[in-house]
Amino acid sequence: VSFYAAWECLLCVFAAQTSSTSSTAIQADYGSEGRSEQGGLEQTARSSSSTKSLLERLEISDLLSFEVHAFVSPGYIKTTSNNYLAPNTSNGGSPEFSEIGINVTRSLTDELRFGLELYARVLGTTGSFDARFTWFFLDYHWRDWLGFRAGRVKLPFGLYNEVTNTDAAHTPVLLPQSIYDIHNREFLLAQTGAELYGLIRFGVVGDLEYRGYAGSILLTAPSTVFPIGPTVSLVSFNVPYIAGGRIVWNTPVDGLRGAFSLQTLRFDSKLQLAPAMLAMDEARGIVPAGFSGLFSYRVPAVLWVGSIEYTWHDLMFAAEYSRWYLRTQVSPAVLPETFTIQERLYGMVSYQLTHWLQPCIYYSLFYPDTTLRTGPAAYQHDLSITLRFDINAYWLFKMEAHYMHGTASVESSLNGNEPLSMLTSNWVVLLAKTTLYF
Amino acid sequence: VPRISTSAATALFFAGVLGVVSSLFAAEHAPAFVVIVNPQMPQLSGLDRRFLANAFLKKAKEWPDGEAIHPVDLPQTSSTRERFSEEVLHRSTRAVKAYWQQQIFSGRDVPPPELESDEAVVAYVLAHRGAIGYVSGVATLKNARVMRIE
Repeated sequence: VSFYAAWECLLCVFAAQTSSTSSTAIQADYGSEGRSEQGGLEQTARSSSSTKSLLERLEISDLLSFEVHAFVSPGYIKTTSNNYLAPNTSNGGSPEFSEIGINVTRSLTDELRFGLELYARVLGTTGSFDARFTWFFLDYHWRDWLGFRAGRVKLPFGLYNEVTNTDAAHTPVLLPQSIYDIHNREFLLAQTGAELYGLIRFGVVGDLEYRGYAGSILLTAPSTVFPIGPTVSLVSFNVPYIAGGRIVWNTPVDGLRGAFSLQTLRFDSKLQLAPAMLAMDEARGIVPAGFSGLFSYRVPAVLWVGSIEYTWHDLMFAAEYSRWYLRTQVSPAVLPETFTIQERLYGMVSYQLTHWLQPCIYYSLFYPDTTLRTGPAAYQHDLSITLRFDINAYWLFKMEAHYMHGTASVESSLNGNEPLSMLTSNWVVLLAKTTLYF
Repeated sequence: VPRISTSAATALFFAGVLGVVSSLFAAEHAPAFVVIVNPQMPQLSGLDRRFLANAFLKKAKEWPDGEAIHPVDLPQTSSTRERFSEEVLHRSTRAVKAYWQQQIFSGRDVPPPELESDEAVVAYVLAHRGAIGYVSGVATLKNARVMRIE
């Protein structure tokens, strides 16, 4: 409140200084009837001047009323075997599963908005609460059927990709990992570029929401060479382009919607062969003598997902099926080039049992290579059950259990670089998370 | 001291009883909510339910004449809002809240302002040309225009 009062005083002084010829007075009326700004601030500013400066034409509420939302989500993860998402989850559990965020948005006119969100997390070895902007944008919504957004914008991929990092916005602690792999958040959460969007009505056939975007993903380059395995290290990494779109069909059947998302992008990296591997390749004649060991590794990828969601009062059902097409391009050819098709799917049901309790159950399946479906490393079955307790409007608590069959989504580096096929194939993940938000 | 006759007193008594009964009857048979817009809006007698739902979910942002839509809600605890959500949005208020959480934290949009009473909603609608709100069926509407849901 003192912030707003200070702003008001500052503006009044400024207005008085700039309006000596127009005898202007700006009045602020907190809580005035019939004028309400979102967030509970009710402010009105009026000018009695006939010749108004730009400052005078602006209402104080226009300058001051921001919409602010935030969340804090500490969590805990424990596994019966196989370290998952963080180190030591199978040995006492890990609290390295927390996130925090705050966002600010403001409507400048009926068509123009801006917003930004600052977000930090810790998840195992990633994050360490280094804050970054998840999104920031300027949004011009010209007509219902056409809007334009520029900046860093969350990616519409599937039904829930945009809210994977916000615990309060979904029921499970972990959204189905086959589609919304938490490891991919750094790459697939948002893009820096531009987006077109809109809503087109087709009468009795329903509505069509569309979004199309293009840009790149700006990543922080590793400050040092980062080992990603015993034979190779990561030197640099970037995503030069990403483009795609999503259409959502809101069908004439109430609560039923279908969606299709398509995305194409390319991961570019520079990798460094370990000296032992380099010597071996030289001996085999794979690389010329004197080769530094530095090589380019590119992964052009095309991803799509088909989605369906049905909401009937307090019951929600969702299912999604996705395929990812990944090609590797290596130069010079120190590694064989590959082409892989991944398959990902899930089905999920949740029900708001009471105003404070919402159970959710889903089954999720991931094949990292559709040509190889046998062996525990070739698949990840995930049966999950969640209990979400909404303690009040600002505080929730979740408990979740996963029965896992397979190891395809486990990181070898968290498990002593053991081959995935050697890890325990049937295991359980237990999670607890609480979120304070407004 | 003014005096009134027995017959006049009887008439007054029955008039009072009838007034109470009729107001109770009206309250009993009043709609759970009515949708209201600013009287300066172009002559619209009714609104398609789907359009209305899109307006309150901020998927539709403009009236047919291009004027910006300014929806306004009652508090989440309001029984009028619960009925409006179920009948127009076809979702519970909890489901609507979940929808807005997704919109807020994906940066898509923020929910309409929530005003604490029918009177505040009526005042807001009268003060903003493109505004649309809903109030209980017994609310005093002043000169706000009632829209039929089609």
